[in-house]
Amino acid sequence: MRIEDVWLRYSRRGPWVLREVDLALTRGEIAVLVGRNGAGKSTLLRALVGTLTPVRGSIMGRPAPVAWVPERFPADQPFTVRDYLSFMGQVRGLPAAQADAVALGWAERFHLTPFLHARLSALSKGTAQKVGLTQALLVPPGLLVLDEPTEGLDAAILAELPQVVGEVAAAGGLVLVSDHSGKLVDLPQAHRWVVAGGRVTAERPGADRARCVIEVAVSSSRAADTVALLRAAGHDILGVREESVAERGAS
Amino acid sequence: MTGLVRMRLRGYFRTGRIVAPTLACLVVLGTFYGGGAAQAGEAYGVSALLMFPIIAWQTKLLLDAEPDVQRRLARVTVGSTTREWAAGLVAAGIAALPLLLLALALPWPLGGVQGPVRPEDPPLLSGVVAGVWAHVILVAPAVVLGALASRAVTRTFGVGATVLVGGAVLALVLGLRGSPMWWAAPPLLSIIRLTVRGFVASGVTTISLHVAVWTIVAGAVYARVRRTRA
Repeated sequence: MRIEDVWLRYSRRGPWVLREVDLALTRGEIAVLVGRNGAGKSTLLRALVGTLTPVRGSIMGRPAPVAWVPERFPADQPFTVRDYLSFMGQVRGLPAAQADAVALGWAERFHLTPFLHARLSALSKGTAQKVGLTQALLVPPGLLVLDEPTEGLDAAILAELPQVVGEVAAAGGLVLVSDHSGKLVDLPQAHRWVVAGGRVTAERPGADRARCVIEVAVSSSRAADTVALLRAAGHDILGVREESVAERGAS
Repeated sequence: MTGLVRMRLRGYFRTGRIVAPTLACLVVLGTFYGGGAAQAGEAYGVSALLMFPIIAWQTKLLLDAEPDVQRRLARVTVGSTTREWAAGLVAAGIAALPLLLLALALPWPLGGVQGPVRPEDPPLLSGVVAGVWAHVILVAPAVVLGALASRAVTRTFGVGATVLVGGAVLALVLGLRGSPMWWAAPPLLSIIRLTVRGFVASGVTTISLHVAVWTIVAGAVYARVRRTRA
């Protein structure tokens, strides 16, 4: 899949959310998008799944079928979990019986079985997120896009998620994950796409093995914000300390 | 696409939203037929005109029943922009059928239809056939008007309501006798003028063609807008 010189914004006179995005991924590869809130990760993912049309540039070679786990699962629907998953399987083109069987298999893996007859609107955030994950996997995806999939998930599913992503990639699927929390940045062999300042920078897998330490001085009142910002951009915080008198004199 | 059509119909019926247009249909047609009996063609012609905004409204209700994110998810899942919006139109067309049957059946128990009284009155069967045609021919343009008023296109309730009501009123105003822009709206009033005379093949062809062209043009506008508004 190639993303060539893509520019994105939401209205004709609105500010550009992303500019000059040039990226490429081949089958079986995984990319994790990191960046702070509002950096444009979800916007890029919406363009990649085809629900947002780039104002400029193009996205080519999108492998079918595309599966998308939106950031917020739309739980305000008059279906039970089982009915919803069965319908989504049928929308994918599966016969009703097969859609139901596949849905039950994934529901068991994601610990959804006790909730199969619960109404979507009655689910907790984490359980609704599991339903969102399940609908995306009813058919082996060619492109799997996960927008903040870790939000609200319990530890068991968080541990399962990298394995599921690995299985999709092993089957030749292309996986894109946005992860504001930083829980998935260590996916094995994953490219890292850093979204910041309206641009996306790609890092090759393993590129961060050779690392360097940068010492930065900020005012004490901005320390917490700076740490959060750097973590969101995918950097490791090795420590935070008070500036010594000697350092203050030197600067 | 049939899976998405079924899902949207099921969602619409399960939310209970169908109650509102059904009640509107019963109240409006009940009031209309309560005024006394008329020739079948005349009665059914007015009934078709009254059903036009009700079916358009029902289409908006059906399409708006689905949350915005689910509509985008459906587009991704079904794998095609065209299949996604087409599934919505087909679902709305199917949902209109029970209302049409209700509208066609209602005048009989209410005594709203009578046979020929004067020699120049068309036969009862001719009026009934013209009436059925009038109801069926207006489903497609009503569905397209409702789709143009749906949240996916209009974004806000105010704009949606304006498109829906404005579209229905314009269809009446532009259809008045002598209107220079008669071609810009579905021929609601021309249909009544025709059904009064019973099923007249030449008039049916002309009006059917007008309805088809209007529906295709308005449908193309909807398709164009939905290409970028998921």
